[in-house]
Amino acid sequence: MQEPIFSLLDVERTYELRGRGWFHRASRQLKALDGVRLDLQRGDTLALVGESGSGKSTLIRLMLGLEPASDGRVLYGQRDLSQLDAEERKRFAREVAFIYQNARGSMNPRMRIEDILAEPIRLHGLCAESALPERVAALLDRVGLPTGLLQRFPSELSGGQIRRVAIARALAAEPQVIMADESVAGLDVSVQAQVLNLLRDLCREAGITLVFITHDLGVASYLCEKIAVLYLGRIVEQGPTDAILNTPRHPYTRALLQAFPRFDMPLKASLSGEIPSPVDLPKGCRFAGRCPQAQAACRETDPVLTALEAGRQVACLFPVAAA
Amino acid sequence: MRDALNIPAPPDSQWKRRFVQPLLRQRSAMLGLAIIALYVFAAVFAPWLATHDPTAQDLMASLQGPSAAHWLGTDSYGQDLYSRLLYGAQLALIIGFASVALGLAVGVAIGLAAGLMGGRTEWVLMRIVDGLLAFPELILAMAFMAVLGLGTENVVYALALSFVGPFARMTRGDVLQVKNQPYIEAARLMGVTTAAIIWRHVLPNVVSPILVQAGMRVSIAILLESGLSFLGIGVVPPTPDWGLMIAEGRAFITMAPWISGVPGVALAILLVALNLLGDGLRDAFDPTTQKDA
Ligand SMILES: Nc1ncnc2c1ncn2[C@@H]1O[C@H](COP(=O)(O)OP(=O)(O)OP(=O)(O)O)[C@@H](O)[C@H]1O
Ligand code: SF4
Ligand SMILES: [Mg+2]
Repeated sequence: MQEPIFSLLDVERTYELRGRGWFHRASRQLKALDGVRLDLQRGDTLALVGESGSGKSTLIRLMLGLEPASDGRVLYGQRDLSQLDAEERKRFAREVAFIYQNARGSMNPRMRIEDILAEPIRLHGLCAESALPERVAALLDRVGLPTGLLQRFPSELSGGQIRRVAIARALAAEPQVIMADESVAGLDVSVQAQVLNLLRDLCREAGITLVFITHDLGVASYLCEKIAVLYLGRIVEQGPTDAILNTPRHPYTRALLQAFPRFDMPLKASLSGEIPSPVDLPKGCRFAGRCPQAQAACRETDPVLTALEAGRQVACLFPVAAA
Repeated sequence: MRDALNIPAPPDSQWKRRFVQPLLRQRSAMLGLAIIALYVFAAVFAPWLATHDPTAQDLMASLQGPSAAHWLGTDSYGQDLYSRLLYGAQLALIIGFASVALGLAVGVAIGLAAGLMGGRTEWVLMRIVDGLLAFPELILAMAFMAVLGLGTENVVYALALSFVGPFARMTRGDVLQVKNQPYIEAARLMGVTTAAIIWRHVLPNVVSPILVQAGMRVSIAILLESGLSFLGIGVVPPTPDWGLMIAEGRAFITMAPWISGVPGVALAILLVALNLLGDGLRDAFDPTTQKDA
């Protein structure tokens, strides 16, 4: 069996919310992630989908080591992310690239595109100084941008262009894993399609492992072979894209699909009932308050993500029958 | 949306486009720059332009109005005002720029350390800065002069010290803001070392407001220096200094108004020019006037 490149073992992430004012100092805890289990194989393309606030960004930041897990473990290969030594951390920085949701904000506004792209190459000593311009130009070419842009500053590029530059920078260090947060949201349909095609081709050609956050199920199914659905900080269903879209087994996934979002609209389940606050999660299943299939047991037991069939996991006590 | 992927690179250099051209568009700034250039010229070539030794006294020729021998007249010691004016420009510009440069270097270092290190270091440094900022610049400079004693060099140190606070506070504020920008985190994620992050990503993004501030401070420095000398706690006579010259002419203001008037007008024009340039620099560098979609 292949060894996973990332494994998350019951990862939890809580934020302390400090009370405002002198009399409400008592701090409360917000559970942004709760019992997240995930195995990512080399070459996987995984879409993280879920409503706003479900913890997608938090999950990806934990996998990048930008934030520590409050509980549970995040493994990169065999090693715990929080215990990497300097050498391993440098390797991690090279092998795992992140494309920010705010592509423009992730680039130094005082640097030219040329220098932005050259930085990771220089950093990891990937080529001789004399070969650098050629290499940078090749990168830009690979994402379909003219070399005329090399002398520009980030603020002088359009939204589509800057996202391509962000992709080019992610590719610069020849990574094995690319993570991207909402990398096509807010773009024109045609530009979005171009960027998606680019990402898809890159992953196919170079065998790059991709983790892609999106609130667009269409994008998810186009780009990724697997989907993980998050609800209130937990992955509630995970499996191959086709299987999930055709036969959702978790009532929440089903509700999501029934309200199949119009293009570029935030994902929203068509359900009545309040979404509980992540500050005080209800006892039992976190979806019980909105679940049409809820039964008495659901309010007692919190279902964890368990295998249903090969490659398919669901966190539900009474999964929807297949077909 | 603008997404023509084939826009050719603009012909002229970006540096010009971002900094020089916006500045050129500021008419008043250009006027200020021209006047300052004139002062700098006068200061640099003072030894050749002057008609007399600026400190040569000739009591026989005291309190004379403008004439062929003394173009702008003489003061109560018979010193040539035109020559003193030229050397005075030299002194004013040197003190102005030197004190600002020194204050900037120390202040920016403190601000960087406080903003980047945080914690206890920041707390201690900022309490010191608060102490410096509690007094108006003139009072602070006077206090330092009282401690350091009279003299040109001490004026520079006193003024520099009074500028450390503003530069430190401003740098820290900007560093704190830049530190939390996504591109800093992105650089760290790519494995860029801390030193390189400070040098390549933090400094270039805090430097332009600091330089604009420095430009404005030069005029404050020159005004303060003249004020100190006017009050008799700055440079010592007979150094050709505008503040001193104005003070000396005070007693003869009805008899020989040119003694105070000549350096006074020279000072006023220089200050206006420096402020015009400073405002122009601010407008040219201000991120809100540059497009930043
Ligand atoms: N630094 C923080 N401090 C406190 N709470 C936080 C912090 N970051 C995130 N949260 C909370 O954690 C939860 C998950 O946030 P997260 O940003 O991961 O959601 P998301 O799925 O990425 O949402 P979106 O689709 O809107 O980007 C939210 O309830 C959010 O308010
Ligand atoms: S456990 Fe119960 S409440 Fe939760 S999703 Fe399954 S059926 Fe619904
Ligand atoms: Mg997010």
